[in-house]
Amino acid sequence: MDLPFSLTSELRDSRLIIATSGYVNNIGGEAIATEFNRHFESGIKEVVINLAQSKVVNSIGMSFLLEIIEKLEDAGGRLVFSNLDPAVDKMLTIMGIFKFAGKASDVAEALKSFS
Amino acid sequence: MAATKALFSQLSSRIDSLLEGFRNLSKINTIRDLANQSADVLKRIVPDTSVEMAHRPSPKDKAWEIIIGAGAQIPEKLIALSKQKTASASLIREVGNSICAIQRLADHTSIGFVFSRIDKAAGFSELDLLSLRLFIQLFENGYQNMIYHRNEKGLIFSLNHRILQLNSLIETGIEVEKLDHTSSPHHLALVRAASLTNASYASLRVTYGKDVREQYTFPEGISISRPSKDPNHIAAGFTFHGETFRFKLFDKESRSGIIAFEETDQLLLDALARQVHASIENRYLHQQALENQRIEQEIAVAAAIQQKILPVALPVIKGYDLAGINIPSKSVGGDYYDCLPLPDGRYALVIADVSGKGVAAALLVSSLHAYLTAYLEGPFALAELAARLNRVLYRASPDDKFITAFIAILSPDSGKIEYVNAGHNPAYVLNDRNSISELGLGGLPFGMFPDAAYQCDGFTMGRGERLLMYTDGIPEAQNEARELFERTTTLSTYFAEHKPESAGSFISGLIRDIKAFTLSAPQSDDITAMYLWRT
Repeated sequence: MDLPFSLTSELRDSRLIIATSGYVNNIGGEAIATEFNRHFESGIKEVVINLAQSKVVNSIGMSFLLEIIEKLEDAGGRLVFSNLDPAVDKMLTIMGIFKFAGKASDVAEALKSFS
Repeated sequence: MAATKALFSQLSSRIDSLLEGFRNLSKINTIRDLANQSADVLKRIVPDTSVEMAHRPSPKDKAWEIIIGAGAQIPEKLIALSKQKTASASLIREVGNSICAIQRLADHTSIGFVFSRIDKAAGFSELDLLSLRLFIQLFENGYQNMIYHRNEKGLIFSLNHRILQLNSLIETGIEVEKLDHTSSPHHLALVRAASLTNASYASLRVTYGKDVREQYTFPEGISISRPSKDPNHIAAGFTFHGETFRFKLFDKESRSGIIAFEETDQLLLDALARQVHASIENRYLHQQALENQRIEQEIAVAAAIQQKILPVALPVIKGYDLAGINIPSKSVGGDYYDCLPLPDGRYALVIADVSGKGVAAALLVSSLHAYLTAYLEGPFALAELAARLNRVLYRASPDDKFITAFIAILSPDSGKIEYVNAGHNPAYVLNDRNSISELGLGGLPFGMFPDAAYQCDGFTMGRGERLLMYTDGIPEAQNEARELFERTTTLSTYFAEHKPESAGSFISGLIRDIKAFTLSAPQSDDITAMYLWRT
């Protein structure tokens, strides 16, 4: 049985990588935001969110992602999405997210984009 | 006058600073950030002044939430000030060494300020008071700008979400139409419906009567047990070929908790359900078309095989005129006829009819042809040949299939004919006195019983005499009124009354008259006939 949502996170060279699994809805979005805030308050400003295992994002989940983007933008930081399912990619494109955040095919490419 | 000019001159420089400061506040998203940054602006225009701020979210609520400051007296001062009735949106009073102000904001909340001199002995000048009033007014403008900006972002987000919903509706429609038998269009539609309406959970149930054929949830594995009258759900569905598909969405999310589904959510779910319905229907029709195509291909192959079995041309028998025809009712028929030359100079005239039509009948006919050809090469008497044919065809035929046949062995020089009738229509012989004899002796149709025995008979065909062999598709040809050809004239009578100058003319005339009778009615059975005339 698949759990609805879970995430893992790691720091690499002061860059936060959050990998999600499951439906990014209210619960999922809040979990991402909580994990982000924990590291943001420690000064982390470069963040990768790996959505490889999240094929579905709703607008509530997206609102949490938007807040992360705005916080990073205000702090001079940046968010990059990686491993996007085509449907999620299209959704983020239509919602205009990529005007304020980046996307990459995988985590390695995302980390390179910060340099 | 000079004092007023000096005042305005000082005020102008402070205004410029104020405006500069508030221009920089245009990107503020929260009241706390607005308060903190405006406090910095205040320090520049009214130096040595501290400000404490509090926010009252509701006009009915007396509670003030402190934004800047730590003193418990801030709310007390503001509560005391707020008791003063005024129609103005702005209330400003000196309270001891401080200036307290309450400003009603664009969203009907209120902001309260307590301005205090760091040097408590110092007071506020007229310029300071004017500056503070301007500060409060511009704070209110900044707050309004923040609200508009927030609303604008919310509006843009909402519009983009509507575009997303429409785009997803179109794309889902395209994706569910893709005729991939491994994919489940209804699963895809359920997931899309859930994410586009912000449903927390979704379920799909496919039933056939009381049988539950499929249950699927999103997220997968979630157990949803809700009462049927649960208000926090919407549903849509359809029935196709007895199967009912029921989509349900539960618990619409928002940042502030579960909210009611909107009318547009129901419209979206209905639209997706309709798309799935159309997709399933199209998939079914496509499979039907593929099956029909496969059957047509099989029929084409069987027809090609049958064409090879049926004679392209009948042999020319010296002293005789022979003609035959076969018109299958479908592309592959169950009738067979042929005239096979035997090694000893005799000829075997055969006509047969397999019960049923189509590919299975055609395959059995080809078996008959193969075995008959083989046995005719052997030393068997006609009765023995018939019995052997019966045994092999019994093994080769399905339970519901049998073959009626009439086999006649012609010795052309003498005109002697030996025949066996295996359950077939009696052949007719028209003698020179214009009387008809029926040739019916034989036995059961081939393939009914494994050990059936057969009797043969014979006669001698004189010059001018004629033999007609046929299948029941001729007397039983139907017109649109379902009348049979033989009701207008029996075949034996037709045979006696039509004695054209060639066998071919008889056959073509018979077919012409049948077609004139049946007109546009579809051909109900194969039509086969063979006509032999000893000239």
